[in-house]
Amino acid sequence: MAEPFDIPDSTDWLNTPLLLLAPLENSLRCQICKDFFDNPVLTSCSHTFCSLCIRRCLSNEGRCPTCRLQDQELKLRRNWIVQELVEQFQNAREPMLSLARKEAARLTNGGDDIQQPAPKKRRVGFLDQDEEAEAADPGSQRMRTRSRGVKVEVAMQEEEPEVIEDSQDDDEDFVPEDGLFSCPLGCGRRMKEAVMFTHLDVCTGQKAPSPAKPATFGSLQPQRHATQNFIDPPERLPAINYSLLKDGQLKKKFRELGIPDWGSRALLQRRHTEWMNLWNANCDSRNPKPKRELLNELKIWEKTQGGAQTPFASAADEITRKDFDREKWSSSHDDDFKRLIANARKKSDAQIRSTIPGALAASEDNVPAPAGPIEIPMGNGDPVVIDSDGP
Amino acid sequence: MFASKRLGKMKEHTPPGISIAKSDNLEEWQMDIKVLDNNPLYKDQTYRLKFSFSNKYPIEPPEVQFIELPVSSDTPRPIPMHPHIYSNGIICLDLLSSSGWSPVQTCESVCMSIQSMLTANSRNERPPGDSEFVAYNRRRIRDIPFVYEDDNV
Repeated sequence: MAEPFDIPDSTDWLNTPLLLLAPLENSLRCQICKDFFDNPVLTSCSHTFCSLCIRRCLSNEGRCPTCRLQDQELKLRRNWIVQELVEQFQNAREPMLSLARKEAARLTNGGDDIQQPAPKKRRVGFLDQDEEAEAADPGSQRMRTRSRGVKVEVAMQEEEPEVIEDSQDDDEDFVPEDGLFSCPLGCGRRMKEAVMFTHLDVCTGQKAPSPAKPATFGSLQPQRHATQNFIDPPERLPAINYSLLKDGQLKKKFRELGIPDWGSRALLQRRHTEWMNLWNANCDSRNPKPKRELLNELKIWEKTQGGAQTPFASAADEITRKDFDREKWSSSHDDDFKRLIANARKKSDAQIRSTIPGALAASEDNVPAPAGPIEIPMGNGDPVVIDSDGP
Repeated sequence: MFASKRLGKMKEHTPPGISIAKSDNLEEWQMDIKVLDNNPLYKDQTYRLKFSFSNKYPIEPPEVQFIELPVSSDTPRPIPMHPHIYSNGIICLDLLSSSGWSPVQTCESVCMSIQSMLTANSRNERPPGDSEFVAYNRRRIRDIPFVYEDDNV
């Protein structure tokens, strides 16, 4: 079957010697969108989903999709370790997969002679991947330490002394030379010496930067996102009890939020729910997107599910229009009409020859009187008459 | 592209007895399913399921029904006999309704549920009121107020 586009998924592993990685990759994917977890959060029933996915589900049904227990968006908690697992797996995925595919190809060819070049290529792949990862995500310090760790392994295999020096920067002890000190309580933050004492007063020693302390989080931000525009850590949007607000008040709220305020009340409610989900899911992100990106996402929603969606090319509407092109319609649906007619003929034959007397009797009792023949224009212009009690 | 990630994809790795018949667009897929055990009602038959995905999938369920291909065609596909399957192919199954659906379901898992629903059945009959329903129903599948009378089939 021709695949119009290639989407990576866990079945990629199945034809390689590493097929045991398929279930591993599956558990790193959200069960709702089937993609890798994006800002994973934990429900109160301990299931993990992408923040946006579970928010959309909960605002639709209020239950966990896996176990159907009731839950609320307010109770969602971030799941940092899963986020890290996903990031590291994604970094390693491409090189692992290309290696596994080469190995699979080698096994099928049955030749051992290409064994030598294969591992070399992998090393190159590893380095490329690391550089890409660093270029793509200059943000997190932890990420960089890890990818250096990988580099170190590779370097040791290749025995290149100048890279081995990196190995002094061990995973945990690696200190970037930026004049900052990391928190001794192990919350993972790094700051100037002067800020440290005030920080120690409030530090809980936990990794997650609490949204309740935006100041500390903010002071870290510029350094973590050296290449990104710094934005204030967003505050979560509360749910609105729509029934308490009149149309005018609701629209005023929309203008305050900076989102479009046109459309029916039902549409306004749906749009606000979507905006709240987008916004709050973004609050769960380690690198929150700027508002204009969220507004773009809302635009996409508007096009696909909101008020701007092109209504389904409803056949009925099209036919009743004055300028309806009969010729084109009948030629483009020629096959369908023919199939329907064939079906109808076959069905009426089958009904007569039916071997199930009960079903036959029942259907004969209840079949409504034919409401008269219907004319269907065919491609060649000849009208074909069929009975309306066909399928 | 927005929707492509959302359709659980299977490619060539489908569970036994289930295969993709048509998946050239993201709105409608067709699947062929077979009942694997020796249930005399469905032995040596293949059935064609049509999945219609809305743009709210997977938050909302896909529309799933059996479709019939004539015996004369290359791939004849009848509508299986089952007390919960109407003769026009509409399936009365709670996991396909808005209340029974869960976004963790996939095309695969729906096919497997229907497969097991057929396997477990021993009654060679249509739902009560089948012929009226088939003659008069013009509603979309999701709007039909099914009553899930028994859970044991």
